[in-house]
Amino acid sequence: MFRAVLGLTSSGLRCVAKARPSYSAPVAARCYSHGKAETDEEFDARWVTYFSKPDIDAWELKKGMNTLIGYDLVPEPKVLDSALRACRRLDDLASAIRILEAVKDKAGPHKDIYPYLIQELTPTLAELGISTPEQLGIDKL
Amino acid sequence: MSLPKPVMRGLLGKRLRFHIPLAFAFALVAGGLIKYGVTEPRKRAYAEFYKNYDGVKEFNHMREAGVFQSVRPSGE
Repeated sequence: MFRAVLGLTSSGLRCVAKARPSYSAPVAARCYSHGKAETDEEFDARWVTYFSKPDIDAWELKKGMNTLIGYDLVPEPKVLDSALRACRRLDDLASAIRILEAVKDKAGPHKDIYPYLIQELTPTLAELGISTPEQLGIDKL
Repeated sequence: MSLPKPVMRGLLGKRLRFHIPLAFAFALVAGGLIKYGVTEPRKRAYAEFYKNYDGVKEFNHMREAGVFQSVRPSGE
């Protein structure tokens, strides 16, 4: 959280103040005085493409997920679906389950987000044979 | 019964836009309260005390009490 506060540099603050009228404030994109800010759909599409690379390697998967988790958003189901399929290609079940834990944590106090994501991802989880942390009993401390 | 799509973007930004000005306001109010509840009365109390303070009288009072080593009470 402090990192987010520090991230509100003077240019960031100017950008946030300017962006206030539109509720979906620029997320990952830098605030340009010229040029268009990336739309949510473009952002999602970019990340789906990133994880859809057929020969993605383990480093790129980790880097992609860590970068994605750094943003002020909970990833869309289609982005997570793409990431989970990348885990399947890499035979990485641990990362797949970790991704689910991570997005639950990203939602923070908003308890309605994770159930929605699981609902949207259930077909994918069934197809890929991924158990949720709840099913494994590892969601409790 | 399928869940509706919740808001998933900008949650931290929304929280900070609300809480940081609030924190700022709280800090200013707290500072103001301490200034006008504590420091100003304290300054006034000191000013009152020293308005008609007679140093020599207080010195002689202490001298008679025998607390100094450099001067003894006037009787001795």
